[in-house]
Amino acid sequence: MKVTDIIRRAGRSLRQAKTRTLLTSLAIGVGAFTITLSLAGGQGGRDYADAIVTANTDVREIVVSKESEDVDAIPRYEEGGAGRPSQAQGGAFTQGLEFLSLDDLDDMATVKNVVSVTPNYTPGVDYIQSESSERYQATVTTFSPSVSLEYAAGSVDGDLGNDEVVLTEEYAETLGFNTPADAVGETVTIGATRQQTAFSGGDLERDIFSFTIRAVSSESGLAFRSQGSLLVSMETIKELYTYVNEGTPGYNNFLIASVIVENADQASAVKADLEAKGYTAQTSEDVLGTVNTFINVLLGVLLGFGTLAVITSVFGIINTMYISVLERTQQIGLMKALGMSQRDVGALFTFEAAWIGFLGGAIGAGLAVVGGTITNPLISEALGLGDIFLLIFTPVQVLSVVSGLILISILAGILPARKASRLDPIEALRTE
Amino acid sequence: MIHVKNITKTYGKKANAFVALKDVSFTIPTGKTVAILGKSGSGKSTLMHAMSGLDRPEKGEVLIDGQDILKLKARAVDNFRANKMSFIFQSFFVQANESCYDNVAMPLEIAKVPRSERRKKVEAALAAVELLDKKKSRARDLSGGQKQRLAIARAIVNEPEILFADEPTGNLDSTTGEVVEDFLFNYVKQRNATLIIVTHDPDLADRCDARIDIKDGVVHKITGLDTPVKAKKPRIAKRKIQ
Repeated sequence: MKVTDIIRRAGRSLRQAKTRTLLTSLAIGVGAFTITLSLAGGQGGRDYADAIVTANTDVREIVVSKESEDVDAIPRYEEGGAGRPSQAQGGAFTQGLEFLSLDDLDDMATVKNVVSVTPNYTPGVDYIQSESSERYQATVTTFSPSVSLEYAAGSVDGDLGNDEVVLTEEYAETLGFNTPADAVGETVTIGATRQQTAFSGGDLERDIFSFTIRAVSSESGLAFRSQGSLLVSMETIKELYTYVNEGTPGYNNFLIASVIVENADQASAVKADLEAKGYTAQTSEDVLGTVNTFINVLLGVLLGFGTLAVITSVFGIINTMYISVLERTQQIGLMKALGMSQRDVGALFTFEAAWIGFLGGAIGAGLAVVGGTITNPLISEALGLGDIFLLIFTPVQVLSVVSGLILISILAGILPARKASRLDPIEALRTE
Repeated sequence: MIHVKNITKTYGKKANAFVALKDVSFTIPTGKTVAILGKSGSGKSTLMHAMSGLDRPEKGEVLIDGQDILKLKARAVDNFRANKMSFIFQSFFVQANESCYDNVAMPLEIAKVPRSERRKKVEAALAAVELLDKKKSRARDLSGGQKQRLAIARAIVNEPEILFADEPTGNLDSTTGEVVEDFLFNYVKQRNATLIIVTHDPDLADRCDARIDIKDGVVHKITGLDTPVKAKKPRIAKRKIQ
């Protein structure tokens, strides 16, 4: 018999037992549904994590710190020393971390493929104020051109100018601007105190710095960035840092430095070099890896349920196929008497199993895609993800789920198909 | 030409052994209609199965046009049946859920006849048994006589040289039975095909050119064949006692 004839005949046989075929297919469909959804969720989750990480970090950036040799020991106080973060930061010490000195930064810069090394400047500014507002507390952090931000008004293409600032929507409102757009182009001032003058006990030396508002960043489903942060350029933040901290014991001692590599592929090699030098380094991929591990565990659990459903349905297929063989004993006997070969009889039942698998896979995966597409906006709304969808279906995934189930069904059909192919036609035709 | 030589078929083993056919020999020339007569359990169905290669006797030869089909491999015997032989059964064995067209097309599918040629052949076969108007009806909607006519259409569609009919009219009343017989004999005459009917109906046997009487697995009497093989006396009874 020709393969096309066998396939058509297999399809016809299934149509003649519609209810049974459909019910068996639905059993696999449940597995297909679960697996498709969990794969889509895994894909969506990873994409989401990826988006979060790229929105908040630079893929070319490696965050470097230095662990003290005796990590567990509580640091000893040293008179007048700057050896410990707790003393420099004027408060909580960070157990297990050592300062990065300027020498350390230079050392990092010697590593191959490193483009720049910048310490994490944390200037403690006093306040921010617009022309018509009160003074409000503020934290200043560095604007990174490669971190994607969403803007409510204005935008920054490339780097920020040295006298420019990016506000959050909250600040724009607090500082008295009616809309974010009103804020763009306006001037704000930031006040800072030289800490050295506080240490020495004399009159405090204060200054104000003026900035033009370049843009207002909007709240994003992706951003981890503190909504209290104002963004200024690297030059500016260094200037502020120097003004505030110069002459204090902690000046030019940093907890964290960021190393920028030439391109993202080199990040892990540079990380290894830095670790060889005794630093602790974390790439954005490491951060992503942590998030992905969590997603993968969840995905694994869901996939496990789907696989269980598929395994259960395998017994359903075997059962259905056995019943089909029994029911069609006469037909099989007749076909064999008419000269159908053992192989073709086996193939006929194998194709029937394959059809069941295809049907179940298509129904399950189809329902998953339709259901997922419909509920995607609802999920995003409920979780506050904005326009990011958590379920992402790719044709490759759906196709591999369906073809995987066809394969499993064929495997499940092996025993019944063998029974059919080995049926003795004389016995089969004796049944009245 | 079908040449059956010294066929012996035993079912079961040792103490439970039952000899269904004992040293059966005869020759059927091409184009003859032969009835194999015998009571139930006489071995007439086993003989038919052996002649068609469905069953394999442990001894003897079945030469069809000089080819011993018992020596062929399973695949080759299948091909032989698909292209040269056909069957008609007492209980029709038509596929109730399928259309008449699909029922008749099945042997053509098995024999790998190209799709382009099938339609013509199926329609010719249906026309031969006067069922062309039922082409699209499901087989289950047919009457008993129509079902057996459909079975005949299925049996003749691939133009076999040998037709085996196992009690073809056993489930039909005599009037319908006769109609079915007519179709069967017509085909055989037109094509010069060989028809072998297994029956216990003497009237049907009388319509055939020759008859082979079987009793307890042994050829009892052969009439109408040119080379009657002398029947041997049954020795089965003795064996059983041993």
